[in-house]
Amino acid sequence: MAQTTPSPAPTLTVAPPAAVALSGVGKTFELSRGRAVSALEDLDLHVAEGEFVAIVGPSGCGKSTVLRMVAGLERPSTGTVVVEGRSPRELARSHRLGVAFQEHALLPWSSIRGNVALPFHLAGRPVDAARVDELVRLVGLEGFESARPRQLSGGMRQRAAIARALVLRPDVLLLDEPFGALDAVTRRRMNRELARIWSEERITTVLVTHDVEEALFLADRVVVMTGRPGRVRHVHRVDFPRPREAAITRSPEFHEAVDLLTGLLDAEGTA
Amino acid sequence: MRRALGALAHYWPIAAVFVGWDLWVVLNGYTTVVAPRPGLVLADIAAEPGAYAGDLLRTLLTSLVGLVLGMGVGILAAIAVWSSAAVSGVVTPAALVLRSVPVTAMIPVIARVAGYGDSSILLIIVVVSFFPAFVLTVSGLAATPAAGRDLFGVLGAGRLRTLVRLQLPHAVPHVMVAFRLTAPSAVLAALLAEYLVGTGGLGHLFSTARSYMELERAWGTALLATVVSVLVFVLARGAERRVGARFS
Repeated sequence: MAQTTPSPAPTLTVAPPAAVALSGVGKTFELSRGRAVSALEDLDLHVAEGEFVAIVGPSGCGKSTVLRMVAGLERPSTGTVVVEGRSPRELARSHRLGVAFQEHALLPWSSIRGNVALPFHLAGRPVDAARVDELVRLVGLEGFESARPRQLSGGMRQRAAIARALVLRPDVLLLDEPFGALDAVTRRRMNRELARIWSEERITTVLVTHDVEEALFLADRVVVMTGRPGRVRHVHRVDFPRPREAAITRSPEFHEAVDLLTGLLDAEGTA
Repeated sequence: MRRALGALAHYWPIAAVFVGWDLWVVLNGYTTVVAPRPGLVLADIAAEPGAYAGDLLRTLLTSLVGLVLGMGVGILAAIAVWSSAAVSGVVTPAALVLRSVPVTAMIPVIARVAGYGDSSILLIIVVVSFFPAFVLTVSGLAATPAAGRDLFGVLGAGRLRTLVRLQLPHAVPHVMVAFRLTAPSAVLAALLAEYLVGTGGLGHLFSTARSYMELERAWGTALLATVVSVLVFVLARGAERRVGARFS
């Protein structure tokens, strides 16, 4: 009963191909004595080219695990993770990912310039000094190029980490609470800076945070996750025009959105 | 005057050692054959510094070369153990065996195998210097923070680049601890080996001076050896602090 008639070409989806696509992703972590905990279940998430998506969720919902899977640091137990049409590990191996985690992981023995230039060394490419200088300027660290990380404040170290993440013009930028360890005032300032930097670079970005205001201020879409096992509970489109100024955080629309998302998170927290 | 008082406040224990030594000899009525007075010993060093200088230099040089070789072998072995489980299965037990046998007991065996001379002495210092560098480098390589390893993974760094740019620099303070621990023992091992099987160096000088009943010379050698050991310890500690601060 072999079909000889040529089958029609598969219908093309209307949406442009996603830069980051998680489909039916689940992750279970093995604990001791054969017990396992399910961190994520059947999670679908698509991030378009040049889009900024923030993931918020109650603590322990596996949002960092999502980011680590996109970074190729964890493998999904079920489902697939595709970044720029390839596996995350392949993308990492071709030096196309940029990351900034809560721990800045700057090399203490290296200067700020050396740290920002590190991705060039790891990619085995000659250091583009002009690009390094440009990024040091972009994150506002000019004058501190030869300082060592421990001579700088926490905020300055995170700026250096962000400059390092951007220096190779990555296809995808992954941020895991990059300002999580900073005080509230510094954190707000860093978010304004990040919004400015991002509107200049427009890189596909996934940000993980537990701060709803931070997510709304920075992202095009905010994904609210459920508690463990994590799933997508709600996706909120953010329509504030760019470049965004601090003024939008005082608008009624902003407050309304904060209340909505905080409500969703609180419901998750008690569930 | 004030500086002299300051120095006195700081270094009085050293003066006390000499005064105590002198009193101990005089009050017991010891002859020079039993124990020379410190003045005589110092006078011998001052009168004939050339008699000591060559051997002192030789001991220092042998210690340094042996220390560098031993620590180098230890660091290389640690890298080999880190890079392959198969190598680890061979090297780690061998290193432990080497560690468990006291070096004094090994000296005659090593001399029998490597000959009575500088090569044996170097080999003994290498054996003494190997283990701390090996163990501390292994732990330094393993103690690289997870955040750094994650970063290097995401940036697509291979194993070799991760080793060279992350793990080895991270292990430097650990290696410097090994250096501080080993440097004085390397000098001690050199002196002991020279005394037992050497053809030169402070240890050998002590042994010959004693057998010719040149007691001032023998005690002078012991005094110099003590000073050298203390200085080596102080210098090594300074280097550890300095380099450790640079790398953390």
